[in-house]
Amino acid sequence: MQDQVALILRTLVFIIIAILLCAVIFQIAGFSAPLMLQSVVDGAFLRQGALPQALRWGIPLFITAAGVALSFRVGFFNIGAQGQFYMGAIFAAVAAELMRGAPAPIVVPLCLLSGMLGGALWALWPGLLRVRSGTDEVITTMMGNFIAGLILVWITSGPLKDPSGSGQQASSRPLEAAYRLSTSTGISPIIIGIAVLVGVVMWLLVNRTAFGVLAGLSGRNGTMVAWQGARIDRLGLWSFAISGALAGLAGTIEFMGPNGRIASGFLPTHGFTAILIALVANLSVIGTAFVALFFGGLASAALYLPVMAGLPAAAIDIINAAIALFITAKSATLERLFKLRRAAR
Amino acid sequence: MAAHALACRAIGVTYGSLKALDDVSVAFAPGQIHAVVGQNGAGKTTFARVVAGLVAPSSGSVEVSGNSVLPGNVAASRAQGVELVHQSFALPPSFTVAEALEFGFTGKGALYSRPQLLRRWQSHLAALDVSVAPSARIRDLPVEAQQGVEIARALVTDAKILILDEPTAVLSPTGIEALFQRVRRLKAQGVTILLILHKIREVLAVADTVTVLRGGKLVAGPLPVADVTAPLLATLIVGEAVAGASGDVAAALGAGEISHTAHRGLDSRPKVADLNALSTRPDPEGPALAEASLAIRAGEIVGVAGVEGNGQRTLVRALAGLVETTAGTQHLAGVGSEKLTLAERRRLGLRIIPFERNVEGLSLTSSLWENWVARQLVEGKLLSFIAPRRIREACDRALRAWSVRYETSTQRAGSLSGGNAQKVILAREVDDDAKLIIAAQPTRGLDIGATAFVWQSLRAAAARGSGVLVISSDLDELFDISDRIVVMLSGRIVAEFTAPFDLGAVGAAMTGAR
Repeated sequence: MQDQVALILRTLVFIIIAILLCAVIFQIAGFSAPLMLQSVVDGAFLRQGALPQALRWGIPLFITAAGVALSFRVGFFNIGAQGQFYMGAIFAAVAAELMRGAPAPIVVPLCLLSGMLGGALWALWPGLLRVRSGTDEVITTMMGNFIAGLILVWITSGPLKDPSGSGQQASSRPLEAAYRLSTSTGISPIIIGIAVLVGVVMWLLVNRTAFGVLAGLSGRNGTMVAWQGARIDRLGLWSFAISGALAGLAGTIEFMGPNGRIASGFLPTHGFTAILIALVANLSVIGTAFVALFFGGLASAALYLPVMAGLPAAAIDIINAAIALFITAKSATLERLFKLRRAAR
Repeated sequence: MAAHALACRAIGVTYGSLKALDDVSVAFAPGQIHAVVGQNGAGKTTFARVVAGLVAPSSGSVEVSGNSVLPGNVAASRAQGVELVHQSFALPPSFTVAEALEFGFTGKGALYSRPQLLRRWQSHLAALDVSVAPSARIRDLPVEAQQGVEIARALVTDAKILILDEPTAVLSPTGIEALFQRVRRLKAQGVTILLILHKIREVLAVADTVTVLRGGKLVAGPLPVADVTAPLLATLIVGEAVAGASGDVAAALGAGEISHTAHRGLDSRPKVADLNALSTRPDPEGPALAEASLAIRAGEIVGVAGVEGNGQRTLVRALAGLVETTAGTQHLAGVGSEKLTLAERRRLGLRIIPFERNVEGLSLTSSLWENWVARQLVEGKLLSFIAPRRIREACDRALRAWSVRYETSTQRAGSLSGGNAQKVILAREVDDDAKLIIAAQPTRGLDIGATAFVWQSLRAAAARGSGVLVISSDLDELFDISDRIVVMLSGRIVAEFTAPFDLGAVGAAMTGAR
């Protein structure tokens, strides 16, 4: 328990340092750091309607990150959440197109399932490549992102093209209102229900099943689990399928919820932010929920920054990157500081 | 008084709160063979490393032939003629013998020609009577030849003091005898030799003096070997309190006569494992199994002897189903098992204490309860629900029953000592449903107390009706514990012995000299 508290405190310290570092950089670059900090905090959490906005961005991130965390736990590194997110949205969009006109109670569940299937399939082939021929799954899932991005371009400018669309960004025809999970606010009982369901199921899977314990063991020492007789390949493939399905589900929610259509290159950093969330949360399911909410807040602040601080929205991406750097590098000096503190206690 | 070849004054080495060496002052006369003995963890290897300049002592000084040596500086020690042959060999496996020798030699010239290189080291090897081709790759050499090259490497420069750290641990009895002859020849050439040893029998056979370390402290020495007896040495090594408590202590120390277990008429018991002319694909860690036939009966302890790397690991993998078999049959608890997965074999009662305790046996960064429960989880359904609290309680009960010293079942396995870690593995692998227990190097690196505990546990398991297969490179261990011993050579089972065992005959079988 004490260790967990220490871990959370340490993570918070890293995040604060990353944000302060960005503030310094922006100050040097000629922006006002205090104003930037204030508008990040305001935009993310304090202003009117900040929480629903944080939830709107945080929920899909949480769903994707919960899956990524599972795959990392098993030691199968799924870097392809972005591609699986796209494939989920594409599968759902195609399903919706094929069933156009059918009653919503049939179409909506089938679209959700189809989106999860799309994400799972897009995770499964790199998983199979690793299991069958030892291909590095980090490379293949990463390449999968690019391929999925290109498929999305093709789908939105070809088969599913909205003929009335005139913008530079190709997109599909809008989903019929009856099939939408939410309005453009991105919040609805169904979406929140799905997020809660994902949270509960994933928590049970990780903490209350044999699969969860063996997955954690095999991520830390696969050789030992193999000598116990567990099939690491099977654990890894399942974790890939589940994490792909969840990323696909998040893509489906974006499509059927706030967006109502798929556009080429939409939310291009979703999957990478989800990976960051999983790492910041130290791969814990509950941690992922809180961290996703935090990053959801940052994402909503991105829309608020240009207005308030005159900063480009990309400033949030820079903050994200700084956090990623600190979390993954785990500064040796700070580590030592924490060790000393623990020794002193 | 004659000048000392090597004198250590008040040497202390601390690792964190652990005192690896504590105020050790000892001096060795030149031109003799000096044995340094002690249990695992007594500080023998640390002592050797301090003398060789690999470890900087936190206090004290080292003098070679009356000249004080800069502490913790390998180059300074080598300049004084001190050379160390490591316990786990340190030659680059991809080098040829000649390259490896040249590597340790700061000779003249920047340009090389291969023939010249080979010629130069050919004569060096010949002078030391190491029969190895200079063009052979290190990794292709058998262990005994590798050790010969290690020694040749140490003698490239004009070594005055040669330290050998546990050189006998990897050798067959014949190899040990050859090593001793080589050491005696070097002594005749005037080299002072420090042998770090583990076995009393070997000390008495080769050394002129013996020095005993216990818990990092100097207990005695250097004593002339003529003045000591095996029981006296055993007492010095383990301390008054433990000595004489058990025959296992004497066996673990290799003190003189080896105790024999009488063969207990097991022929009528059912076979728990039966390999019939089993061949496998080659394993990354050793030769393929070649037509190995072996039966283990319930209640029987079968020892597998052999120089390391002769297919012992493949045998364990074959029994575990982790290597593909190409011919032959195997039965486990009466069931044809060639096609079974390891999980299915474990359900039939297969238990494995693997070779590498910290890699194959435990996940050091995972909690004790996860490590302990892993086997049961693998045997059950993947999606079955678990109750972590109840598992932790059961784990606590099991670890207490196995007298593991630990604080909480949520602590990491890596925080335990070697002996306690092995007990966690025993607690997981030795249960009433165990039909065949494979114990691979079950006592490697353990102190006497933990070693005796492991042996007693395996005997108790056999008495309850499990068949036990012990793989060990320690013949004293095998002789003490086994009802029957088979010998492996190049992936084949080449000989079988029943108690009482004959060291000469087993040793000859290990090297194929029959």
